[in-house]
Amino acid sequence: MTSELSTFAERLRASIASGFPADTFGTLALEVFGLQFAGNAAYRKICAARHITPLTVTHWSQIPAVPTAAFKELELTCLAPAERTHVFHSSGTTEQRPSRHFHNPQSLAVYEASIWEGGGENLRLAGDDWRCLSLTPPLAQAPHSSLVYMFDFVRQKLGAAPGAFVGRSGADGVWTVDPDAALAALTLDDSRPLLVLGTAFAYVHLFEALAASGVRLRLPAGSRVLETGGYKGRSRALPKAELHALISDRLGVPAAHIVCEYGMSELSSQAYDSAGLAIDCGARNGERVFHFPPWARVQIISPETGREVGEGETGLLRVFDLANVFSVLALQTEDLAVRCGSGFKLIGRAQLAEPRGCSLMAVGSNNE
Amino acid sequence: MNLPNYFLADLPAEAELSPTMLAEACGTLKRNREQYLAPRTTDQIVKFLANVAEGWLQTDNPFRKLALAQGPGKTGFGRPTLARGLDQFFGQLTRENLRALLGQELGDAKRLDELIATPGEGKNSRAAIATGPELLVHIAAGNIPNPTFMSLVLGLLTRSAQFVKCGSGAAFLPRLFAHSLYDADHKLGACLEIAEWRGGSAALEDQLFAAADCVTATGSDETLAAIRAKLPVRTRLLAHGHRVSFGYVTGEALFGHRAKKIVTAAADDVVAWNQLGCLSPHVIYVQRGGEFAPEHFAQLLAEELERRELVEPRGEVATEVAAGIASRRGIYEVRAAHSPETQLWHCQHSTAWTVVCEADARFAVSCLYRFIYVKAVTDLENVLQNADAVRGKVSTVGLAAAEEEIQTITTKLARWGVTRVCPLGQMQDPPLTWRHDGRPALGDLVTWTDWEA
Repeated sequence: MTSELSTFAERLRASIASGFPADTFGTLALEVFGLQFAGNAAYRKICAARHITPLTVTHWSQIPAVPTAAFKELELTCLAPAERTHVFHSSGTTEQRPSRHFHNPQSLAVYEASIWEGGGENLRLAGDDWRCLSLTPPLAQAPHSSLVYMFDFVRQKLGAAPGAFVGRSGADGVWTVDPDAALAALTLDDSRPLLVLGTAFAYVHLFEALAASGVRLRLPAGSRVLETGGYKGRSRALPKAELHALISDRLGVPAAHIVCEYGMSELSSQAYDSAGLAIDCGARNGERVFHFPPWARVQIISPETGREVGEGETGLLRVFDLANVFSVLALQTEDLAVRCGSGFKLIGRAQLAEPRGCSLMAVGSNNE
Repeated sequence: MNLPNYFLADLPAEAELSPTMLAEACGTLKRNREQYLAPRTTDQIVKFLANVAEGWLQTDNPFRKLALAQGPGKTGFGRPTLARGLDQFFGQLTRENLRALLGQELGDAKRLDELIATPGEGKNSRAAIATGPELLVHIAAGNIPNPTFMSLVLGLLTRSAQFVKCGSGAAFLPRLFAHSLYDADHKLGACLEIAEWRGGSAALEDQLFAAADCVTATGSDETLAAIRAKLPVRTRLLAHGHRVSFGYVTGEALFGHRAKKIVTAAADDVVAWNQLGCLSPHVIYVQRGGEFAPEHFAQLLAEELERRELVEPRGEVATEVAAGIASRRGIYEVRAAHSPETQLWHCQHSTAWTVVCEADARFAVSCLYRFIYVKAVTDLENVLQNADAVRGKVSTVGLAAAEEEIQTITTKLARWGVTRVCPLGQMQDPPLTWRHDGRPALGDLVTWTDWEA
C-alpha cells in the first residue's frame, strides 16, 4: 500500500510543481481516499462506523472527514512505524497530548512542493535578492513544528542565513522572541527587502518589547510580513485589524504587503488571504478571504445539520487536502469560517470556553 | 401588550447609559424606598409577592403571555422549557413558603418588622430585629432567570431598594418580572430598577457600587475578584462563583419499574433550562451492579431525550454553541469507532441532544444545551475520586438511591463539600428555602440589632 501511495505522492508532487490542473482534483481525491481507506487502519474504523467505503463514495465531498482532534488520540497514518522518519506536533503549550502527523521523505517532499507552489507570490517573491527573518525558534529548537519546518524551508529557498530565526523555545515549550536579536535583524543596514515570518502572538510579543524602547521601524521598500495562527489560548489576544495596524505602524509595512496564512500540523497545504492568490468574491471593508491552492478544497459545514452552509453563512471549516498523502486528506477543523465563493473568511476557534452565567463551561481543546 | 417605558432596560437599544443617569436612578430608588417600601410590613410584602406569583401561573396573565411569546426569540429557550421553568419558580412563591423561609433564616416571620424574641431567646431575656440593606445591587447571571427573580424577591422581603444589572441582551425576563411587580403596585415598583450593559464598564459600575450597601454577584472567579476590588470596604459582597452539578444513580435504585422513572427524572434535569443553570448536571454517574448497566441506562436516557425533543424542543442555539457541540461529538464518534468503552447517541438532525457514555469516569464539563455524560462507577467513593477536580465547586447532586442509602450518601457528600442533595429530576427545582451555595440566602442580606434586657 505504501508503494502505491509513494507513486501517488510522486505524481502529485510533479503535478503541483507544474501548475496543478484544477479539474484533476476530484479524481485524485477519490484515488487517494481509496488508498488511505486501505492503508490507514484508524481511518478505516472511523469510515466503517459511518458505513462508508470507497464503493459508496462517488464525489470528493462525500469523503469522511476526521476531526483534527483525532490526531491526538490515534495514529492516523498509512506509514508503518519504521517508515515514519518525521513527526509534526500541534504546538499548543497547554496540551498534554499533542497531535501527531507522521511523515516520510516522500510526504515531506509533497509538503515542500505544496509550501512553495501554494505560497505563490507570497513566498516566491519577485527578484531574488531577499532577506528573511523568522520570529519563531530555529528548526533545531522546534524540530516537530510544521510551521518552523515551513519557515526554514522558505529561508533555504530564499538563500537566507540560518541565523534568521530570532525566537526561542523555553524549557516549557513556550516560544518567545529575542527582542535584541529581532531588533538587530530589523535595523540591519541593508537595503534589500525583508520577508518577516511569524505567529500573530510573536508580533504582539515583539511590539511589546519594541514599545518599551519606543522604536518605530521603516523596513526597506517592498518588505513583506507573513502572519499566522492564533494566540493558543494566551491572554493577550489582539483582533487581526489591530495587529495589522500595529505591523504597519511599527515596521512601516503597508497593509497590502501583510499576508495571513492559515495552516496546521494536521495539514500539508496552507491557505492565504493575499490578493496574490485570492479570487475576488466580494470581500469588503478590508475583510480578508482565505484560499487554499487548487490541490486543497474547503467546505463550510453547518454544525447544526452537518450539511454545507450557503454562501455568506458561517460554519465549521472542513479541508480536503490532497497533499496529506500518507495520513487523511479530509479534515474537520474546529474553526468557524464564513463561506465566501471557493474561499472562506476565518472567524477562528469558537469561543467555547466562554463562561456564561453561573455554570462552568467546557474548556475547548486547542490543536493549533 | 406593550410594556411601559419604566426601567432603564426599557430604553431603546441605542440609548447610552451614563454615570449621571445611574446616580440619579440610585437617588430616586433610595427616596422611593424610604417613602413607599420601608413602612410596609413583612406580611404585606408576602401577600403582594404571592399574589404576583399567582398571576404568573395563570395562562392569561399578560406578562406570562409576553414571556412565552417573545421569550423563545429573546432567550433561546423553547416555549415549553420557559413555561416549565416559570411554573416551577412561581409555583414555589406562596405565602406558606415565604413564611417558612423567613422562619428558617430569621427565626420568626416578623423579625424584619419589630423586636422579636424566639422562645429560646426569651428565656435568656434577649430579642432582636433584622434590617435589610438600603440599596441592594444585583449583578445578575445571564443564563437563566430564576436566580434573578429570587434576588428580587429577597430584596423586597428585606425592604431594600434594588438595582438589577443584567448582562447585555439578558434583561428580558427580569424586566418582565419587574414590570409585573410594578403593575401590581406602582409604589413598590418604583423601588426597583433594571438595566443592562456589558459587564466591565468601569464608569457605570463605579457609580453603582458607590451607591450600594450590599452587592450580590454571580460570575467567574475573575469577575467576582474584579467586583470585590472595586467595592468600598464597608459595602458587603455576596458572591456566587461558578458551580457545577452532577447526578448519582445507585445500583440499588436501578431496578424494575423504578429504572424507567429514574431515566425520566434524569431527562427532566437535562432538559430543564436546557441544562444552563449551575444546578444542572454535567455528568450522571451510574453505579454498576444494578439491574441496568450504565450503558443501558445511557441508551434509555438517549431515547427519552429524543422523545422530549418532540414535545419540549431545545430551540435554536448560536453557531458557536452548535460548533462546540458538533466538535465535541466528533471526538466521541472517533473514540466510539475505536473502542467499546465509549458510546455516543445524539439527535440525527441537529445538535438538540447528545448522550456520551464512557468508561473513563473522570468528571467532564459538558458543553451543555442538553449534552450529558453518563459514566459508570463502582460506588460513591469512586464518584468522589473522579470528581476531585471540581471539589469545592459542586452545587447540587441529584440522587437516585434506595431509601436506606440516602443518609450515608448525603452525609458523605456533605463532608466532601456538596451543598445540596436532592432527588434526581428536581435538580433545577430548588425550594424557596434553598440555601444558595450552602449559605442562608435571606439571612446573609440582613443586619441584626440585638436587645439585651
